[in-house]
Amino acid sequence: MKKKNRLPALAMAGPVSVWMILFVTIPMFFIIFISFMSRGIFGDVVYDPSMESYLTLLDSTYFNVISKSLKVAAFTTLACLGLGYPFAYYIAKRPKDQAAKYITLIMIPFWTNTLMRLNSWLLLFQTSGPVNNFLQNSGITDAPVRFVYTDELVALGMVTSMLPFAVLPMYSSIEKLNKSLLEASADLGADAKTTFQKITLPLTFPGIFSAIILVFIPSLGVYTVPDMLGGGKVLYIGNIIKNQFGMIRNWPLGAALSCLLIAITGLLIFLYTRFTSIEEMEVV
Amino acid sequence: MAMSQRAKKKKSLKLLADFYAILIYAIFYIPVVVMMVFSFNDQRNNYYWAGFTTKWYGELFNNHALTDSLWYSVVIAVLATLISVTIGTIGALGLRKFEFKGRRFINQMLYIPIIVPEIVLAVAILVVFMTVGVRLGMGSILIGHCTFCIPYAVVTIKGRISGDDNSMEEASMDLGANRLQTFFRVTLPSIMPGVMSAAFLSFTLSIDDVVMSNMLAGAKQSTLPVLILSMSRSGVTPDANALTTLMILIIVIAMVLNNYVKSALKKRRKKEVNL
Amino acid sequence: MNLKKAAAVLLMLVLVASLAACGGGGGEEEPAASTELNIYMWNEYISDELIANFEAENNCKVNLSYMSDNADAITKLTAGGGQEYDLIMTCDAYMESLVAGDYVQPINFDNVPNATANINEAYWAAKEYCVPYLMNYIYVVYDTERCPIEITGYQDLVDPALAGEIGSVDGARNLFPIALVALGYDPNSTEESEIAEAYEWLVDYNNNVVAYGGTELNITNGTVSVIFTYDGNASWAMSELGENNNLVIAPFESDPVQLGFDLYVIPKGAAHVDLAEKFLNYICVPEVMAANLEEFPYSCPNDAAVAVASDTYKNDPARDFGYKQNVFFQEDVGEAITIYNDYYQKLKVGE
Repeated sequence: MKKKNRLPALAMAGPVSVWMILFVTIPMFFIIFISFMSRGIFGDVVYDPSMESYLTLLDSTYFNVISKSLKVAAFTTLACLGLGYPFAYYIAKRPKDQAAKYITLIMIPFWTNTLMRLNSWLLLFQTSGPVNNFLQNSGITDAPVRFVYTDELVALGMVTSMLPFAVLPMYSSIEKLNKSLLEASADLGADAKTTFQKITLPLTFPGIFSAIILVFIPSLGVYTVPDMLGGGKVLYIGNIIKNQFGMIRNWPLGAALSCLLIAITGLLIFLYTRFTSIEEMEVV
Repeated sequence: MAMSQRAKKKKSLKLLADFYAILIYAIFYIPVVVMMVFSFNDQRNNYYWAGFTTKWYGELFNNHALTDSLWYSVVIAVLATLISVTIGTIGALGLRKFEFKGRRFINQMLYIPIIVPEIVLAVAILVVFMTVGVRLGMGSILIGHCTFCIPYAVVTIKGRISGDDNSMEEASMDLGANRLQTFFRVTLPSIMPGVMSAAFLSFTLSIDDVVMSNMLAGAKQSTLPVLILSMSRSGVTPDANALTTLMILIIVIAMVLNNYVKSALKKRRKKEVNL
Repeated sequence: MNLKKAAAVLLMLVLVASLAACGGGGGEEEPAASTELNIYMWNEYISDELIANFEAENNCKVNLSYMSDNADAITKLTAGGGQEYDLIMTCDAYMESLVAGDYVQPINFDNVPNATANINEAYWAAKEYCVPYLMNYIYVVYDTERCPIEITGYQDLVDPALAGEIGSVDGARNLFPIALVALGYDPNSTEESEIAEAYEWLVDYNNNVVAYGGTELNITNGTVSVIFTYDGNASWAMSELGENNNLVIAPFESDPVQLGFDLYVIPKGAAHVDLAEKFLNYICVPEVMAANLEEFPYSCPNDAAVAVASDTYKNDPARDFGYKQNVFFQEDVGEAITIYNDYYQKLKVGE
């Protein structure tokens, strides 16, 4: 009986396992390995074991940058959930044959280049750009307002970049909702709010969880948005790590930072799954 | 009286919902519209509006770097999507269904490309390739893209199949279908929205990717995002805007045509049924 | 049962085949090494005509790939650039590390006589390993109408009156030197105490800065009134604002400005060294470079080329300032680079 079941398992889970081992596990072992190595004078990796990189991480600068990045990521995630869930619900309620169109309409802007789209926000909100011109011409303001290179614009950029990653998994989960459950709930006397709280929300939770994962974690590592829309004034953990592999050429430190980031994120996911019954939902 | 009040409430709620959806779509499309408008900007650096011109659309066809890189990016994105969605879908199903040693490990590995900043994964893969002696080129970029697309596909599909039991599949096999038929006729259609979401995600991630493509590119050809990134230092020239505008037009036209064909087929089928 | 097995095997085969096909396609090897030249450099930095002429004269194909950051070039060089590229562009500050790390190979200047003949010696560090292409002054430009104060030295940049008025280039080795000069130290200092003081200075500077990067854009559209920028960017801003613009190069009284270079190096193990050297020789021909300067009017270390360049180039207001000789170069600071990097990070992360 066991032998009979092996082949389908192999065929289905095999390719993904092989891929992960080849292209994720092995490279990541390399990263962990060099995080314990030293940096040569000229920025090369010297194969001389040392804890120096990890000790450097104890500096308060890294604590600051990580907490800043966590805050930004948390805000972005909450915003994407708040804006995205109603939107995903709306699309899920469309007639089934229309759904594909609505989804495609969301994705089309993201097939254009991210850099160009971010740049568009800059063009729009520039000191002598359309928004400022409009505000001045209509008398709402006297002088140009500086919208660019502000935290607010960065937040806008982050949310607009990450929103589809929240909408898609949530849509997929909401669409699955059996309408008859909702009808049954209404028939049993529950009002819309209660139905939502007790039926819809819990049942679509896997989608929400996927959305959180797909938004929060990449938001931690993003650097293009703060660079472009924030004028490069604040560095987040993504910038710091990128610099270690770039200008600064301290690969061991970059590796150590990445391991730290993985540890923090892993811890968050672990705590999250502990305190909710996610594991039963088999999403993790 | 109560009926029509409820109907009114429903109607206003519907209007509110429509308005909200339009607002969200607007937020998505405002940068796109701005970008399209600036494809007519008479200024090479495209820093601000300097006048209307259509010359960039002509210049575009002389700019082989741009058009070649677009083609390159699209080919890679299509391949990456096919590979990632295939591996990701059967992987998500397989990981859920079957208990095997190391299942937990693979599940955890799947999160790594999502958690780790792309630059780290890119550098790591680059070094592994260099050590083994793999030449950089389309293959290396493709591998890089699939490595982050597959986890996204898996997570999306997991969100879809969560809570499903095997009863449909079992029923199908009881009725005589074998595994393959069950997969294509029962499982796949029921998870199709998830698969669709995964495909869209993968395509988007691939066609817009900068970091992995930059690291793993060969000397002969860059992808479009990498090319645009290199332009950003001195201002992205409007022919890039023109290219993207044309891309969008083509997609929209394709969608409209698709819709038209679909509804025409539907009408014909209805006719046949009524006959 | 057989169908399942077949399907599984087929899937694996398709996978492997597609990868192999793509991998193979990407790594085509040219039979004769000298018909292709792979260059990695900045975008919008060399004239298409120059490339086309070179291709025609030497019956070859030049493949240009572009970097978006100096870091890209360094990564390519150190992670195995020689396999992919024959010429990589980098800047003078990295040369010592690159040479010491054995990432670049010496150039046979018998094959590049135009370089030896025409390039100004003063602008040519690490002579055996590189050919300087273009150079840039990093200085201060401001709008006399909108800037509240007159700027005669770096110290003026931390004046509280300039809060929210400054656009600046980025980078530890661009920012720390001006702080060090303002404090009276060597811009290539390796003393931690001096660098720490420079960090404090830069905290004040950072408070006045609105944005790093896009300096020429921000001064032309009115977001800032003072920029610390490259002369190439200043040139663009000045020509964009037209004849009667109010931009002036800050009349520094004694502070030196940084002069940086973009150089071509040949990575170790490059496949087409003969063509690479021919290319280097070609770009050093005065007329060729002069034509290139028409399109990209940056400062140039090739004296002969500058001499035959057009009047527009020679009279470029961005290069019209009196203290051109008062420059300093970026020197390799050895181990102290980690001190610079730590303080730079501290500066950008903030409190």
